[in-house]
Formats: sequence, C-alpha cells, structure tokens
Amino acid sequence: MIKQIQAFLISLIIATFLVVTQTTASNLIWLQSINMPVDLQLVISTMAADLVDMNSRGAFPTIALIFVGLLIAFITARIIAIWTRLKKSYLYALAGGAALFAIVALMPLAFYNLDLIAGARTLAGKAYLVFAGVIAGYYFGSHTQQGDSNEDH
Amino acid sequence: MKIIKLPILCVGLLLCSGSAFSVDESVKIEPKTEILAQGLDHPWSVTFIADNEMLVTELSGKLRRVSDGLLNPAPIDGVPEVLFAGQGGLSEVLADPNFADNGLIYLSFSAPDTDQPKLNRLNVIQARLKGNVLVDHKTIFQSDPPRRTAAHYGARLAFLADGTLLITSGDGFNYREQAQALDNHFGKILRINTDGSIPQDNPFTTTPNALPDIWSYGHRNLQGLVVADDGTVYEHEHGPQGGDELNLVLPGKNYGWPAITYGVDYSGAMISPFTEHPGMEQPLKYWDPSMAPSGMTLYRGEMFPHWQGDLFISALVPGDVRRLAMEDNQVVEEEILFTEFGRIRNIASAPNGSLILLTDGKDGKLIRVSAKN
Repeated sequence: MIKQIQAFLISLIIATFLVVTQTTASNLIWLQSINMPVDLQLVISTMAADLVDMNSRGAFPTIALIFVGLLIAFITARIIAIWTRLKKSYLYALAGGAALFAIVALMPLAFYNLDLIAGARTLAGKAYLVFAGVIAGYYFGSHTQQGDSNEDH
Repeated sequence: MKIIKLPILCVGLLLCSGSAFSVDESVKIEPKTEILAQGLDHPWSVTFIADNEMLVTELSGKLRRVSDGLLNPAPIDGVPEVLFAGQGGLSEVLADPNFADNGLIYLSFSAPDTDQPKLNRLNVIQARLKGNVLVDHKTIFQSDPPRRTAAHYGARLAFLADGTLLITSGDGFNYREQAQALDNHFGKILRINTDGSIPQDNPFTTTPNALPDIWSYGHRNLQGLVVADDGTVYEHEHGPQGGDELNLVLPGKNYGWPAITYGVDYSGAMISPFTEHPGMEQPLKYWDPSMAPSGMTLYRGEMFPHWQGDLFISALVPGDVRRLAMEDNQVVEEEILFTEFGRIRNIASAPNGSLILLTDGKDGKLIRVSAKN
C-alpha cells in the first residue's frame, strides 16, 4: 500500500512537472518568436516560478486538478484490471492519458470553450499533455506490478 | 502702530481662510443614488438619445428604452439575433452624434458565423430607430477571423471628433498571441467610417498583410473607451490575474499584450516575464490585484464641478466605481465610490450632469447618481 501511494505521488509529480513546463515552454517559445530577449537564465527562472505559482497562485492548483484526474483514472484502471489481461503498465498508461485528456477536453466545455491551461490551446499542446498523463500512468503501472495477481507472469 | 496692524492682520487671515474654506465646501457636492429600473437581464451598455431618454442593452439580446426615469416594458423591436453565451451577447449601444437629426444608433454584438455556425464573430451594425423599432440595418463591421470561444469580445464603441467610429475587439481569450499580429482583429482597436468603409489615414493601410481598419494593437479585453474633448483617447482593459490597464491610445501604437503584462494567467502561469519592451507602450495605470474594469466615462457635467475632467471606471471586482483625477494625462488621484451595489457593469454621463450606473447580472439595476441637494 505504501509502495502504491509512493508510486502515485511520484506519478502525480511527473505529470504536474510535464504539464507546467509545457505551459512555460509554449509561452517562452512564442515570446522568442517575436524577438523578445529569452535566454537560458530566464527559461530556468520562469519555469521555477511556474512550478510554484501554477500550484499555489492560480484559480485552481494544477497539481490538485491532476491529482483528482489520476486518482479517478487509476481506481477505474484497477477495477478494469480484474477483467483484462492487459499489461498493467500499459493499462495505467492508458488511464493516465485518459485522465489528462479528460482535463484538457472537459475544462473548455465548462468554460465556454476557454482553455484555462494555456499550453492546451493547440492540438499539439493537448496531445503533449495527454502524453504527460501516459508517462505518469506508465510509471505508476510499472512500479506497482508486483503482488497483482492479474498481471502477466 | 503695531497694535493696530495685528488685529487687522488677524481679521484678514481669518477672512481669507474662511473664504477659502467656503469655496472648497461649495464645489464638493455630495452625491445621492436612486434606482431607476431593476430586473434588467444582464444590462451592458447605455446611451442617451435625448436629455431624459436613454437606450439600454441587455446582453441576452434586448434593447430597452428608459424615458423620464421610467423603463418602457416593451423592448425595442428589430434587434438582430445575438449569441448570448459566456461573455457574448448584445453589447454596446451608441447614439450617432447627430441622432436628433438622423435617428441612427450603433450596436455591437456577438453572433454565429453564417458559414460556420459553431464559430462566432463580433458584429457592429448601424440602424435607424423609428418609434420603437430598429429599421434600415446595415452591418458595418465583422471581426475576422471567426472564433470558437465566447469571451473577450471588447465590443465598446466611441466616436472620434472627425466622425469616424472606434471599435474595441478583444483577444478572444484563446487567441491572445494574435493581439501582436496585424492580420487579424484579435486584441485591436479598429477605426472605420460609419458606412463601414476604411478611413484612408488609418495607420496600417499601406502595411503589407495588415488589416487596414486596425488603429492600435496589443490589447486584451477592452471594455472602456472614451474620447476626450481634446481628442485624447483613453481605454481600459481587463488584465488576467492582475494587470488591468488604463491606456492613452495613439494610432499605430502597440500596447504590448501578451508580450508584456503586469498580470499572470488564471492558472498561475507567467504569461510573460516582461513588463516593458522597446516599441511597446506602458499603461497610464495598472491594477494588481485586478478590479475588472467594465466601463468608463469622462465627466464633463456641471452637477459635480469638482469631478470635471475626471475619468470614472466601473468595476466588477469587488464591485465599485473608481474616480481617477487626471492632470496632464496622468492619474494623480484615485477614489473608490459606490461600493454598495456589487458588480457594476457600466457607467455613463447623462446630459444633465448626473451619472448612470448599470449593475451586473440577471437582476441588473439602472442607478442614477445626482446631487444630494
């Protein structure tokens, strides 16, 4: 159980880090494209600021949003795992991707088509965020395999 | 000699101080407020068509008339269908400077795109008010390209002294970077003639790939627009979290959004680490935290002499009016007024010198601010 909680927290941190840094990167790449003076020091300081502020200063803490999404997705995956023989790491990767997809797809529906996570405004951005969920889910699945009777042996 | 002079000096000083005191007191008129109408459905804008007659838009799509302080229960007919969603709907109403002669008014509103109904545009029409009906509609502006979102329309209108019309067009929320490009209407102030044609002296008419109706750019969601008697144009715009701005607008200038900003995104992310950059204008004033500026008027009336020349900005958060005293185009004083009504959607000056407030929401109120005595 402790191992599962630990794996969940690390997967949450992975997903949050990837989501936040993608937003930072998309903002800075655009600024550089219009010849604003973006250098490495600015990239690091902005990324650090976003990692703190997107989880404390925003209208919603990004980590809390992802926490809820991953929790629901992983619980659902755990139930599905009873009936499927899919490798657990793949199943949780799918679940992680589904969680992030739900966040980037459902949030605009609730807010008049507005993408409140700036990095999710483009199709490529949405795809990357879903991929971040896949990575987080894969980590969780591959670090909680032992002791699950339904896994391939 | 000294004994005689001292009392005279004292009396003189007393008289001087007394007269100065009485002058200050006489010009500071206390305001009183009275609710003229309530139950308005998201009132958004108000314009006077006669000394005691005004038109009020409801975002949900109705145009209402208030005559001698009484709301006409019958809305004005002939208003186009609008997209009432999010922040969209029937937005600004503005009477033509020669309304008494030509009966023309201008309306801005969001509406679905005719070819792609899932997308929508900001529209501006000219129409003639005949009795209680709008006739002779003419579309004089449509924002381009159409948008998917129902937010950040801007949609304020104002006339310049030369009779051309300024239109504020917001960044559409999802399209903020487009505010820095000149090939679209996101995050711009536009200038057109009242027949929809483009004035030849607009700043970007000869710029390759630029839309010729653009007058200034780099704006976010501009919901206050005022033209002073000397031609100075003031606009204010919503920032994200922090970064609401009051700007003095000049043609051809770039106001920076979102490359420079004093606000951060709703997610907490830094939209830009820059607050200034060569070639981008600084605001006259910015607010952090945000107060969500929603409308603006320049006070020119006689009813409150001590307010003459001041800008009044209505605010949604937490809900009040900001009086800004201006000196040489700089804000020298800010006073918070009318905090008792909640979110205030717009403010206007009446011909008799009173102020008109519109409160936000489904049970919107029309409030008159006039002199107490």
